[in-house]
Amino acid sequence: MYLHSRVYAKMVAMIKIERSSRGALSPEAGAGRRARWAGTASHGRAATPPPGRRLRRTVLALLLVPPACLLLSALALLTWGPGGSLAFLIPVIAALAVWAALAWPLAARIRRELTALARQRDAFYEELLRLSRAASLGEVASSIAHDLNNPLAIMREEAGWIQDLMRGGDLQGAHTQAEIANALKQIDIQIERSREITQRLLQWGRDSAPQTESVDVNLLLNKTLYLLESELQAAGVRVVKELSPGLAQVRGGAPELRQVFLNLMKNALDAMRGQGGTMTLATRPERGGVRIEIRDTGPGIPAAAIEHIFEPFFTTKAANEGTGLGLPISRWIVEKVGGTLGVESREGAGASFHVTLPAGETLPDTGSGGR
Amino acid sequence: MEVGMTRPIRLLIVDDEQRLVETLSKRLTARGLYVEGVHSGPEALAVIQARPFDVALLDVRMPGMDGIAVLREAKKLQPLLQVIMLSGNASINAAVEGMRLGALEYLLKPANLDDVLAKIEEAFKKKRLEEEHLASQRQAGG
Repeated sequence: MYLHSRVYAKMVAMIKIERSSRGALSPEAGAGRRARWAGTASHGRAATPPPGRRLRRTVLALLLVPPACLLLSALALLTWGPGGSLAFLIPVIAALAVWAALAWPLAARIRRELTALARQRDAFYEELLRLSRAASLGEVASSIAHDLNNPLAIMREEAGWIQDLMRGGDLQGAHTQAEIANALKQIDIQIERSREITQRLLQWGRDSAPQTESVDVNLLLNKTLYLLESELQAAGVRVVKELSPGLAQVRGGAPELRQVFLNLMKNALDAMRGQGGTMTLATRPERGGVRIEIRDTGPGIPAAAIEHIFEPFFTTKAANEGTGLGLPISRWIVEKVGGTLGVESREGAGASFHVTLPAGETLPDTGSGGR
Repeated sequence: MEVGMTRPIRLLIVDDEQRLVETLSKRLTARGLYVEGVHSGPEALAVIQARPFDVALLDVRMPGMDGIAVLREAKKLQPLLQVIMLSGNASINAAVEGMRLGALEYLLKPANLDDVLAKIEEAFKKKRLEEEHLASQRQAGG
């Protein structure tokens, strides 16, 4: 990806926010992260702790209350002794009452913190999506420029050949006439080819306009494939389509879903680059929606990597080839409309990414779409 | 071409764009070169194995075996063959890799024929010098 260094710095800053929010409720994250937060606080600028930290404190407070109640009852029991009056229950009831009184606002607070986390996470991914879309526009533009240079090179040689013939003098000969006519026809063929290529770029711009609410998956897969056609061909990748006809329209915006398909197809392409192989695009109806599979015959994903591939900035590609953003952004986009994105892969046996998307008729829910 | 004096420059053009190979061949043949054209990496290697060439014009991006892979193998078959890479986009990686593997030049499509011709002649001169150098070494050694 062609990422500006400032854009990259911004992404790195954002990933820190993302990590702190992700670690909020996972127990193993607590111990390791505390030191880092302590470090941040000592810089003096973090007056309010990050939401993840506040949330952990709240949960901790809530969890401490029941043991405290038990302790009080045990003390009461010891003080009054067994068989004594029921008065020992008084502190227990009092403690439970206090706990109930505390629990309500604490629960509300947990809800608030969770919403704040989800919102922060959404803002993070919105921004990532914006940045990655700009990056893939750069890639598409570069690929299109490359495709355009071939017809340009041919046109230049054809025009040059006509000039050569004109310099040769004998323009009336039947052979020369035929050569010139042939060269001119070829120039026209190459102009048509160039027009198709620029059409792709125009299509990209048009599809980026917001905001269709339902999408024809097969059509969008074909359009996305078109963008990568020459790259796939150059990499020796054969494409097999197993697209079910008559699928329901799915929920989601075309530009966002195209980003998902483009990411998955590019991953398949990168996995097979240099060695060739087959990329299979399959669609079929599933539970009222659509299931899309993008399979490759590449080397597969190592077992150690597979559980991390949806984490931002995790990449198995070389430094200048992958940013580790494609899959996490894709998953976020798909989950935002109520779908799922998963993977099956064995080392040496290719990878298969599957996306499920709900049908587009029902109203999108307003859930913020965490994992 | 006057440069060769004794014999025409033997040029191999490798590009998957068939029409480009065809027309470029016609134009360069008209300028006194001996030109052969092929459309893929394996074809190129077969031809390079079969007969000697002075210069190769090699497209970087081709389906199947790409120009870099062809360059690597071609240099094993004919170490003195001078290779000029031709590419549709300015990929720094490919250019660096090409140079590292012993390509002489890296030209961008659409290239001007005069420029291409100048590079071919330059490459031919270099090859002649290397041949003479080798011959004199051999004489000194023998």
